[in-house]
Amino acid sequence: MRHWFPLTWVTLFVAALLVGVAPGNGGAADVIKFGVATPLSGPAAPWGIPHKGATELIFDEINSQGGLEVGGKKYKLEVIAYDHKYVIAEGVATVNRLIAKDGVKFISILGGTVVKAAEEAVNEARVLNLPLAYADGLVSPKNPYTFHSFPSPPETVIFWNWIKQHHPQIKRVASITPNDDTGWWSLKVETKYVEKLGYEVVAREFFERVVTDFNPMLLRVLAQKPDIISVLASPAGSVGLMIKQARVLGFKGRFIHIGQMDTSVVAGIAGKENVEGTWVHGYVQTPLPEKVKSWQARYTKKHGEWNATSIDFANPAFAFVAAVKKAQSVDPKKIAEALSTVEFDNLWGKAHFGGKDYYGIGNQIIYPMPFSEVKDGVAHLVVQLSPPHN
Amino acid sequence: MTSALLVQSAVIGLSIGSIYILMALGLTLMFGMMHIINFAHGAIYMLGAFVIYYVYFQWGVPYVAAFVLAMLLLGAGGYLVERSIYRPVKGGIEPTLVALLALTTLLQAAGYPVFGTLDKHVPPVFSGTRNVLGVTISVERLMIIPIAAVLVVSLYVFINKTRMGAAMRAIEQDKEAAALQGVNVNVINGLAFAVGFALAAAAGALMAPIFKLDPMMGEQPLLKAFIIIILGGLGSIPGAILGGLILGLIDSIVATALGAEPAFLLSFVFIILLLLFRPTGLFGHAP
Repeated sequence: MRHWFPLTWVTLFVAALLVGVAPGNGGAADVIKFGVATPLSGPAAPWGIPHKGATELIFDEINSQGGLEVGGKKYKLEVIAYDHKYVIAEGVATVNRLIAKDGVKFISILGGTVVKAAEEAVNEARVLNLPLAYADGLVSPKNPYTFHSFPSPPETVIFWNWIKQHHPQIKRVASITPNDDTGWWSLKVETKYVEKLGYEVVAREFFERVVTDFNPMLLRVLAQKPDIISVLASPAGSVGLMIKQARVLGFKGRFIHIGQMDTSVVAGIAGKENVEGTWVHGYVQTPLPEKVKSWQARYTKKHGEWNATSIDFANPAFAFVAAVKKAQSVDPKKIAEALSTVEFDNLWGKAHFGGKDYYGIGNQIIYPMPFSEVKDGVAHLVVQLSPPHN
Repeated sequence: MTSALLVQSAVIGLSIGSIYILMALGLTLMFGMMHIINFAHGAIYMLGAFVIYYVYFQWGVPYVAAFVLAMLLLGAGGYLVERSIYRPVKGGIEPTLVALLALTTLLQAAGYPVFGTLDKHVPPVFSGTRNVLGVTISVERLMIIPIAAVLVVSLYVFINKTRMGAAMRAIEQDKEAAALQGVNVNVINGLAFAVGFALAAAAGALMAPIFKLDPMMGEQPLLKAFIIIILGGLGSIPGAILGGLILGLIDSIVATALGAEPAFLLSFVFIILLLLFRPTGLFGHAP
């Protein structure tokens, strides 16, 4: 019995030492956890995978240089990502889990319907949110901790001015959009804008995200003889089927997506020749500026496969890092204050949060937005435009 | 709605209806014989489509061979499900339903790590378009109609003109009496599972070049198939055919005239009204 006590103390001492040096425990205070709630499977996965991938790349690069310095202390950045499949219930569950179980104070949610459903939870927990999502009222004075990090329809509609100037023969517009918060709001904003520009909106259709047969809807739309079909807010897989089926029904006009979609996924489903001439915001394959080329090389090295959607979906991480550096604090309130004033570099140039005149609060990202045209199956950059508001 | 648009939507409705019929056939066959609703039908449809993706598109095997392989593989899978799930619970309806639901969840969840998270596509097998009654329609969609017809006729001949089909009909009418007459109920049940799964696989294999592929792709067709077999009468093959055509035409003509939501609503209103006057559906009979 005499030997038990020293042995017990030695064991406890060793255990305490091990606990002390274990990663993620003793160092927990030096880690900034950043939650990513995004669709990593299902039809919206072409958005979610690069969202997570871009965030991880930026954070990994900072960590490899010793971490982010805040108030003289180095912090490691950790991404905690969950798949919500673009399903509202799963989205709310993942956000709750990130906040309650993982204890994140900073989050990026992808998907308008999900972010709206999780709005109350995010606000109550005073979590700083940098979403990639389209939803009415998301950027609003009632959501002071939400900084929308991707251009929304009120910004991207500016491309219609370019179309009016360069393709004046286009006059009749039809819109097809998902039957949810994201779709309704996008359609409302775009319709109002294009009608003001003098376009005639000849058809407005909503579809459930699970639909694969668009023929009946397209028959209705094509009967109105549109020159162009806007598929704003629709996921790439759905757009691929729409384009394929519309071409069979004889539609010769263009398609436009002022949200964001991976045109290579669309071309895979619809056929390269059917996607020719499609205009898209936020997806560029060529020519890429030097800064984006470097990003492409680093992203490909880390993830094994290039994904052009990652260019614009890196915004939440760029904005967050810039704001933490400026605030020199890990307090969400101080970082939010910094986000309101910080100017930072994203992959297309200088970016900041603004849009107070339009939204009533300056929490919408503003930067020169890229627009492409698909030529021979590849998305070619045609113009970069600044939003109608600053 | 102009007459040209009406014709166009009717032709498209027939092609949509043919897809629905293919989905509903296997489902109604299994219900008719064993009174179970195969919740795994949508997942088997998905697997049939992925067999085409790998065997035809990735490995370059001719489409017809890949199509037959999909039916054989998943048909064998159906037989195994009968042996491993249905038979051990002695044909208990509720345990089988729960087990099939679990199988569906397992197959769908496994689909993402196995097949990948991004939507897949299969290049067209039948390319080009044809003009039918002044309507342009893709050849791949047109081809569904004769292929579905061949499968329906084959099933009809199998059920009505073969000894195994006669055994299936005997079990459907009275399982105990069939067993007393020397019918091996277990083997025939296994065969019904195999045929039901093979038909779901055929539907998925046909749809693969037309739509996109993902692990959840079977959910919507399964919902449509449920509506059809209730409309046509649970267990009735002629009912599944007529129900599929009616639903396809409603989905196309009403959706073209009024929009997708009224079409969806109307299909349910139609079923409710029908069931009020014919509780067993168009061709169903009281148990």
